[in-house]
Amino acid sequence: MSRILGIDLGTTNSLIATMDNGVPRVIADPDTGETLLESVVAIAPDGAVRVGRAAIELEPHLSREKDGRVSAVGFPGGEYGAVVRSVKRYMGLGGDEVAPEEQSRYTFADLSGPVVRFQIGKRAFTPPQISAEILGALKNRAERALGEKVERVVITVPAYFNDGQRQATKDAGRLAGLEVVRLVNEPTAASLAYGLNKLAEGNVAVYDLGGGTFDISILSIKEGVFEVLATNGDTHLGGDDIDHALVDWILADLPEQVRTDRHVWNSARRVAEDAKKRLSEADKVDLQLELPGHTIRKTLTRDALEKSAQPLIKRSLDRCELALKDANLRPGEIAAVVLVGGATRMPLVRRRVAEMFGRDPLCSLNPDEVVALGAAVQAGVLMGTQGDMLLLDVVPLSLGIETMGGVMERLIHRNTTIPTSVTENFTTAVDNQTHVDIHVLQGERELANDCRSLARFKLGPIEAQPAGLPRIAVTFLIDANGILNVSARDERTGREHSIDVKPSYGLTDEEIERMLEEAIDLGEQDLEQRLLIVARNDAEQILGALRKQLGEFAGLIEPGERARLEEEAERLDAARRTSDRDLISKLVEELNELSTPFAGRIMDFAIKQALEKKSVEEVS
Amino acid sequence: MIECLSCGRRQQPQLTCESCGAPLGVDLDCFAAFALPRKLTIDSAALERAYHDLSRRIHPDRFAQSAPRARDASLRSTALLTRSYRTLRDPIARGLYWLELHGQKLAENNKAVPPDLAALVFQVQEELEELRDANGSGAQRLRERTMSRRTGLEQSMAALQGDLAANFKRWDEGGDQAALTIELKSVLSRIAYLRTLIRDLDRALENLQAA
Repeated sequence: MSRILGIDLGTTNSLIATMDNGVPRVIADPDTGETLLESVVAIAPDGAVRVGRAAIELEPHLSREKDGRVSAVGFPGGEYGAVVRSVKRYMGLGGDEVAPEEQSRYTFADLSGPVVRFQIGKRAFTPPQISAEILGALKNRAERALGEKVERVVITVPAYFNDGQRQATKDAGRLAGLEVVRLVNEPTAASLAYGLNKLAEGNVAVYDLGGGTFDISILSIKEGVFEVLATNGDTHLGGDDIDHALVDWILADLPEQVRTDRHVWNSARRVAEDAKKRLSEADKVDLQLELPGHTIRKTLTRDALEKSAQPLIKRSLDRCELALKDANLRPGEIAAVVLVGGATRMPLVRRRVAEMFGRDPLCSLNPDEVVALGAAVQAGVLMGTQGDMLLLDVVPLSLGIETMGGVMERLIHRNTTIPTSVTENFTTAVDNQTHVDIHVLQGERELANDCRSLARFKLGPIEAQPAGLPRIAVTFLIDANGILNVSARDERTGREHSIDVKPSYGLTDEEIERMLEEAIDLGEQDLEQRLLIVARNDAEQILGALRKQLGEFAGLIEPGERARLEEEAERLDAARRTSDRDLISKLVEELNELSTPFAGRIMDFAIKQALEKKSVEEVS
Repeated sequence: MIECLSCGRRQQPQLTCESCGAPLGVDLDCFAAFALPRKLTIDSAALERAYHDLSRRIHPDRFAQSAPRARDASLRSTALLTRSYRTLRDPIARGLYWLELHGQKLAENNKAVPPDLAALVFQVQEELEELRDANGSGAQRLRERTMSRRTGLEQSMAALQGDLAANFKRWDEGGDQAALTIELKSVLSRIAYLRTLIRDLDRALENLQAA
């Protein structure tokens, strides 16, 4: 059988790793030597995909051109193609679960369905489809580096991921043509990497603050058995949140319409991210954001950064306390604290974690790589090459069913070691009832409405009998991936019952099959044909935009400029009806260059107008 | 008698095959899962060692490359082992399970408050009520009172756990089943009450902290 590789599918970066003679190693791209793959995916209007650095180049942002002008570049979203970053934040979410402030960041196809869908070009993409592109790029990288096919992988997920988020991650693997042998929790994976080298033993706390998610896991490591005692976390708390707070601060003086402009916002995010990183070393950094006709200059001190990060870190430490309580341990009983995730490079995080546990945290393994290394170790365990090593993980959230009066009845408590199962007997409430409906929930709240709906099951058909007589035993089994499986048996007849599953969120098997077929269709399309379509789309896009601007902003056109632009536009319009891709691309570029000064003036004007409007509002 | 799916040996239901060691995937009671005699006194360190040893042999991670049938048996046996460990490890869960094995259970929802606890329950509820309505400087004093109340309850709980261990010992020595059942129910019901009270106190304190 082919070897199993370990993948860290991160919010910000993703990595793939393998075991080499009992030692985990991150696989570098054989061409570029890079180990981190930025989890950024660009999709052109025709469906052409780029991942990583090539995708970042296409992200909407402001760029200083040769002539000194600052102009907006990149895929702005929707029908013009989009660049998706931090797609992990959307995994397993229903449309109604996207936070309002995130809704302006992308063009969503539909926010009412059971799955978030990004509108890109003429198609809608689900988060698992976009994640599958990242997995595909890693698969490709590993195949080139190892010279063999990659088919089976272990993928890590935040420990606090719920059933739907885990299922979505498995779906992404399937869409990338990978068999996901196991999902492993990220902090647990990190503990495997540390424990393998005996860097940590006894009661160990793993504090994992990544780009988008926070996890705390408390483990007992004893003679090769890694037993998770408790886990807690927040799947929407990470370094991104600190960046976003900085973006708000950088753009604070600008009017709403400029602040939410995707080009402006992303450029500010880049500046913020860079400043945050530099402040891990420096006490003070100057930052500047160039807007058309306007430059924002600010100075950020480490103190100010720490002040804005403080509430987020507090939230993570509260979670640590809950985990310790569930593990029935006091901070002093923790023998080692391990730091994972890029955000733990912030000195403040290190300080606060050290205070909480009363000891200096370990960070001898690279916090960006340790999860991928651990995933490779677990792959080794699954291949049987790691001797006696064994991982006993837990389910992060309680699982239960809705009972009379909308109350959640817990069947499996959080922090129960997995795999685990529980069998519950159901009967009918009225005579000759043919079906029993079961609503499965996940969460810690008392009321069903406050918990997350996981799935609805219909048991039946049940033989017509007086109420209360049928006895159907339903077994809820959580497997080693933390994913729920349900089976039912008629206790009297011993017959297995069929169960009609309706997941509340996520994709059905049929939808995944269809996506797989579509992916194959796209793959088989002639490459040249696709590139031609891209070029034509680019042409249509720029012609459309220019026509609109020539009408709306006639006052900003300089003498002679209109004639030059219109002449060039006509040439492009004629070319795009031919199949000469090179000519179309060349003319698109020329027209782009020719119209840049005009576009810059429009942006200037918009900002000036917005600022003026704001100052008028402030005065009045 | 059941048959091992891996080697075909016919045997009594147990966790792993006596011939080839493969997990059999059959349902067992918690004691049988660990091949332990039905005794209530359990050495927790030995139980943990047995749990780790058995897990190493039957866990799904050991069968990732096996046929689906073997994987399924491993999954079911491991789920059983985990559940059994959880039940036997905790004396309270173990006691409740013992009642169940003897066809008994605590009264439905444990509604009847044990008479000698009634006054205590009433008083704690009243104190919590005051704590919820409290504000300003009074809150700090009430908070301290709640903390010391909690310490008191923890002490009572420790005493009850001693009673539980003594009851377990008498069962194992072959005492009068009917009398021991009544006593076991009574101790467990008190423990359940104290546990609810402590949980209520913790929630009230947490809410206070959050506010």
